Amino acid sequence: MTSSHAFRSFAFAYGTMFAVLYVVALKLDLALFTVYSSLGVVLLGTHHARDVVDPAMGFVVPTMYWYGWTATAALGALMFGFIAALLPEQWTRRFWLGWFWVAPALAMIACVYLTMPWFRL
Amino acid sequence: MTALLIIHGLVAVALLGAISHQTLATWAPARARPGSFFGRFRAVPSASFANAIVVLYAVSALLGGIVYLYFRVDIRPDLERAGHWQTLGLFDIKEHFVAIGLALLPAYWICWRRPRADESTRTRAALTSILAFIVWWSFLIGHVVNNIRGFGS
Repeated sequence: MTSSHAFRSFAFAYGTMFAVLYVVALKLDLALFTVYSSLGVVLLGTHHARDVVDPAMGFVVPTMYWYGWTATAALGALMFGFIAALLPEQWTRRFWLGWFWVAPALAMIACVYLTMPWFRL
Repeated sequence: MTALLIIHGLVAVALLGAISHQTLATWAPARARPGSFFGRFRAVPSASFANAIVVLYAVSALLGGIVYLYFRVDIRPDLERAGHWQTLGLFDIKEHFVAIGLALLPAYWICWRRPRADESTRTRAALTSILAFIVWWSFLIGHVVNNIRGFGS
């Protein structure tokens, strides 16, 4: 197994699995951490405001999940990437190359679908 | 913050040019002696653009990630109060696309710089097209949002 084969397997698995896991993280709201940029605070995990008395607090202390979703997907994809890098070349060659661009394209469509509620407001 | 946003925009312009050249050259390579402007536009050595595109994309995403911290506090609440829901939706889609594109960069780089002899060029063309779409989408939506409510306005 050459290093170029390992890197190639890692890169393709990482890109594909990141796209899949990003959609999962977005759908299930699995942010590795939540960022409160106005306070300069980062909390581990997904945190939602529980202030139902004054929802306007959300404007004062906005929460950011995008970094957390990205980190969740990146962490998961790294694991898949490392596993793929360890697989023998004969195994990875059987994988249909189209998945490396079909999966990200489908993930992008899924992201658009999950964002549709914004367009119904 | 305005300076950072301008640098982000300038990097995005360079990236837009590079990926547009490469995508057109990939799908419609020019003949030996292109005579027209369009012909010359796509008569570039595509592979030589790959390194620049990876670096420009990464830098642009990094700068966007920093600007986004301030956007969420200074700009987005105003857009929400003004009811620009569609714009915010389009911007959210941009965030998602950029993240997916960033993760595709290693595979994209390998397709251009370390291609395997037995490998079809379809994967390379498809990955390049996906990245080009993401870059164009991000550029246009970022521009629209900045026109509605930019920093300092």
